[in-house]
Amino acid sequence: MTIAIYQSAMMNIVLARDEAPDVRTLRLQFADEADRVRFFQKYRVGMFGLYGVPGAGESAFCVASPPTRTGYVECTFRRTGRVTAAIRDREVGQAVTFRGPYGNSFPIESWKGRAIVFIAGGIGLPPIRSVIWNVLDRPGDFGPVTIVYGARTVADLVYKDELADWGARPDVKLVTAVDPGGETPDWKGQVGFVPFVLDHAAPPGAGAVALVCGPPIMIKFTLPVLLKLGFAPKDVYTTLENRMKCGVGQCGRCNVGSTYVCRDGPVFTLDQLRHMPAADM
Amino acid sequence: MKILDADKLPDLAAVLAAAGYRVVAPVRDGAQVRMAEWKPGLAIDAGPIPANSVKEFLFPRCEVIARYSLDGDSFAPQPAPVDAPKTAVLAVRPCDAAAMVALDKVFNWEYRDDAWNARREATTLVALVCAAADDECFCTSVGGAPDARLGADAVLRCADGASKFILEALGEKGQALLAAAAGVLADGDARPDPPASVPVRFDSKAVTDWCGENFESPLWRDLGLACLGCGSCAYACPVCHCFDIQDEGTRSEAVRLRNWDTCGLALFTQHSGGHNPRPDQAARWRQRVMHKFRYFVERFGGLACTGCGRCARLCPARLAISQVCREIDEARKAAAK
Amino acid sequence: MSTSEAIRADAARLLAEGRAKLVIGYRARGPHRAPAFVSDPAGVDVLIYDNLCKQNLAVYLRKPEVRSRGPVAVVAPPAVMRSLVVLAAESQLTEATVLAVGPDAYHGVLDLAGAAALLKEKYADLAPSPELLEALAKLDAMSPQERARFWTDQFAKCTRCYACRAACPLCYCARCIVEKNVPQWISTAAAQHGNFAWQIIRAFHQAGRCTLCGACEAACPQGIPLMLLNLALSEEVAKQFGEKPGYDPAAKPVIGSWKPDDDQGFVR
Ligand code: SF4
Ligand code: SF4
Ligand code: FES
Repeated sequence: MTIAIYQSAMMNIVLARDEAPDVRTLRLQFADEADRVRFFQKYRVGMFGLYGVPGAGESAFCVASPPTRTGYVECTFRRTGRVTAAIRDREVGQAVTFRGPYGNSFPIESWKGRAIVFIAGGIGLPPIRSVIWNVLDRPGDFGPVTIVYGARTVADLVYKDELADWGARPDVKLVTAVDPGGETPDWKGQVGFVPFVLDHAAPPGAGAVALVCGPPIMIKFTLPVLLKLGFAPKDVYTTLENRMKCGVGQCGRCNVGSTYVCRDGPVFTLDQLRHMPAADM
Repeated sequence: MKILDADKLPDLAAVLAAAGYRVVAPVRDGAQVRMAEWKPGLAIDAGPIPANSVKEFLFPRCEVIARYSLDGDSFAPQPAPVDAPKTAVLAVRPCDAAAMVALDKVFNWEYRDDAWNARREATTLVALVCAAADDECFCTSVGGAPDARLGADAVLRCADGASKFILEALGEKGQALLAAAAGVLADGDARPDPPASVPVRFDSKAVTDWCGENFESPLWRDLGLACLGCGSCAYACPVCHCFDIQDEGTRSEAVRLRNWDTCGLALFTQHSGGHNPRPDQAARWRQRVMHKFRYFVERFGGLACTGCGRCARLCPARLAISQVCREIDEARKAAAK
Repeated sequence: MSTSEAIRADAARLLAEGRAKLVIGYRARGPHRAPAFVSDPAGVDVLIYDNLCKQNLAVYLRKPEVRSRGPVAVVAPPAVMRSLVVLAAESQLTEATVLAVGPDAYHGVLDLAGAAALLKEKYADLAPSPELLEALAKLDAMSPQERARFWTDQFAKCTRCYACRAACPLCYCARCIVEKNVPQWISTAAAQHGNFAWQIIRAFHQAGRCTLCGACEAACPQGIPLMLLNLALSEEVAKQFGEKPGYDPAAKPVIGSWKPDDDQGFVR
């Protein structure tokens, strides 16, 4: 007998793409069909997994691909330490370990017919990219889609091809921006910080849903703008990140107050966040 | 009534070992008495409260949870079998036995930990009714008692002025153990000695309530000053269960390890990007008290402290969670007036 | 005036005059002694000193929570003063205010130079306890195999809680080698291999620095006799280099210095 919850699936890397300095996307295919089936029975947008390289360790990040694409799992991560460096060093044809999906998800079924506004900064786009594709893959189910995405510099924008795709689609309103000083001579998007750009784009908030993901400082200044635009705190979603090890509510390190990010999160509404101790984040 | 002479605990251990149990018992080791694997010839000292808790026999301080063979850039999973020997723990304290029930909840919270459950299943806890307690014991303040039976499979009780033990089975595992030990047990009568008396030191409900309203309090800052940020308290605590997962390996093999860890250490919550949500010892003490007296109650409906007092006995700065709780209780009472 | 009363009077004065924002001393907790942190002259009454006051309070001087309070004064028996002198020798602190206490007398408020002078004058020959010397002699008399067995059993108990490190005033590395993982030098598992590595590194890193205050052993929840290691190494350092750390704030630590006439017999 082994400890079942810690046995990972073997995943083969079928595609690797550098998105931005130190940021990479991997497309992973389950080596074992049974693992694939089990994963997609459970997977909903917002959930995360533990990706690993034996000998280096495991690291938690979101599943960046939607459940509508059932052949693979994609993840986008930044190299920050030993584990992410080891995962980054893996090449197409090699394997990584994966366990999950864990955590809660965005309740997208309750958003049917409603306008959705996605707001992301930098490496905050991957956690909501899965939602964007999930929504776009189900035409007619949801209302109009607005995406506001900003990064420090043009080089820091991730999913550049997809941004072009989304920008060209009639059913998406895309606003891209870079921080002042981060633009290149041929930059066609906006220049400014995300909260400012959002304020300017002014998507109507009444009855709509917003997803915000990015650096804490961006989130902090974006929330008041959303409230001003008329979004209800219960309709504003974000994902929290904390150091995680087990992913299953047992190792005791991801909690914010009595809320376990790995189990009760990573998806929270602004309403919920307001009831969590800010000093523990 | 099954009776054992007070000096016959090693005989009991021996007959259980012969019956195939790994026997864990309190054994003297230098200046300490520790719960340790019993070996023939070792004396058993059931007097003092052991320095370590029984948790390490169910939740070892390090354990291989996954294993891989490595070959250049490729790897293959290998079996990482769970070690769950049939075990009898003699003279475990009621506070330790109760702690295992609290840990059952954690390790089966939605996801079930097979290793914990297998070892729990394979372990028979023979609780000892405490005949003496010291000034750090506070089981009675957290819902326990020196003669509590929660979590125990059998109970040992001093009798006839500490000259005998009465051994009583509480369930199937206990009955099996008594049957295996039949050879050293006598039938007879004895008068149980009174259990230790442990004064109630605080009202735990008041502490739970206070914690709900005092995430920010000068108390945490004061505690943070004296705390050295060592891991003693958590590693000695029967209920603390936080762990780390680390990979290690050689060129040909990698293991994924689960190691004990604790919220008292600075690196516990440190993000790889540098941010630390609990940047100082004050925040870490708050987490310790909140987890035990508030969050655990919210999530599992009970406390994550069974009042064994080990953390206080071992703290190099002599901080004591019971004293913190008493201060909280008193502050709350004073505020209510 | 008793020593405790004298300490209270000096502490109150230091706080009132603003020479210290925080006085670290000892207080009673039941039959035990615990550290006291006093920032208000009106609060000095908790301070006491007697022979139960064993904790090495010098450890607090490296805590950011303490440093951020401003100038600190610390109640310092000889062991604490020696730790402070080593910290000064290693450029970890430049000045200190101590309320110097000895087993025999209270010596009042001193600065670092004063403490060092007092140590040299009155406490130059602090000897380890007879029990410790005896235990080390017993260990020395063992065969290498017996000694290896002894330490194997002792190290097997280590849970890698690092309380020994946390309690030691001289363990101040910003990131301890056991926590470095690129590359990972020492196995994190509380098992034989990593435990040996950890114990040996801890002991060797203290060689020539350790003042034999006993804080690590007192902190170890597993009852591992760390002082045997510390003493063995410190005797070796004294033999090889003639150094006794903790008396001269200008001394170069043995571990970080080199002399042309050092014995190089080990280089082969
Ligand atoms: S918190 Fe302290 S007293 Fe409570 S169970 Fe844990 S070690 Fe024992
Ligand atoms: S205090 Fe004791 S158990 Fe903890 S790391 Fe040090 S030697 Fe090991
Ligand atoms: S990651 Fe272990 S409890 Fe959340």
